Amino acid sequence: MFKEMKKAFFIIIILAMAILFILSIDIEYGNPKNLDVANYYIEQGLYDTGAINLVASIYLGYRAYDTLIETIVLFVAVAGVVFCLRGKR
Amino acid sequence: MGSSKIIRTIAQKLFPFIMLFGFYLISHGHLSPGGGFQGGVVIGTAIILLALSYGIEKTEKKFENKRLSMLEKLGILTFIFLGFLGIYLGHSFLGNFLPLGKPGQIASGGLMLLFNIAIGIEVAAGVSIIFYALVRYRGEI
Repeated sequence: MFKEMKKAFFIIIILAMAILFILSIDIEYGNPKNLDVANYYIEQGLYDTGAINLVASIYLGYRAYDTLIETIVLFVAVAGVVFCLRGKR
Repeated sequence: MGSSKIIRTIAQKLFPFIMLFGFYLISHGHLSPGGGFQGGVVIGTAIILLALSYGIEKTEKKFENKRLSMLEKLGILTFIFLGFLGIYLGHSFLGNFLPLGKPGQIASGGLMLLFNIAIGIEVAAGVSIIFYALVRYRGEI
């Protein structure tokens, strides 16, 4: 029973991925028609965050949790290096 | 332990300028290219230069490992605290609750300067801690 459920779950995930892929086939990335988000950043970035540097306004303004995890990555890297090397004198 | 006198002298003269450039990159992160991460790596490089030219013992007297690891935790905790304060007082994570100020000045962008400083401290301490660990446990300079 459990095995069949697992198989059915797997097939459902594959189907969902296929449907998402088929739906996204006719979106042209880089097409000027589909640049709403980028244009919003360029036009409203200065008024929303008050920073001239557009990269900083995306990195420390719009992109919230991604920046937090990016900072934690280095923290975990330091912890890992110290942990792995500690015992080998 | 250490390098020749020429390298030591040049490293000593170069150190404050590299440090200054790092602080410039951090504090102007919202005005010009750069930011907390890049400036922090530059400051870490200055400490690595001192360690390479003067030896690890002399450098560790000035920049103690314990203090550096405390600074790293302080930086990341400041970042997380300010970020969640943004949820409480503003509207979202990293949300701004300070006045935006006039664009183009250092004191503009609200919380962005504080975030950059926190990330810069964390990255500078992290890079030098990695270097200390590699030197101390895997051989010497």
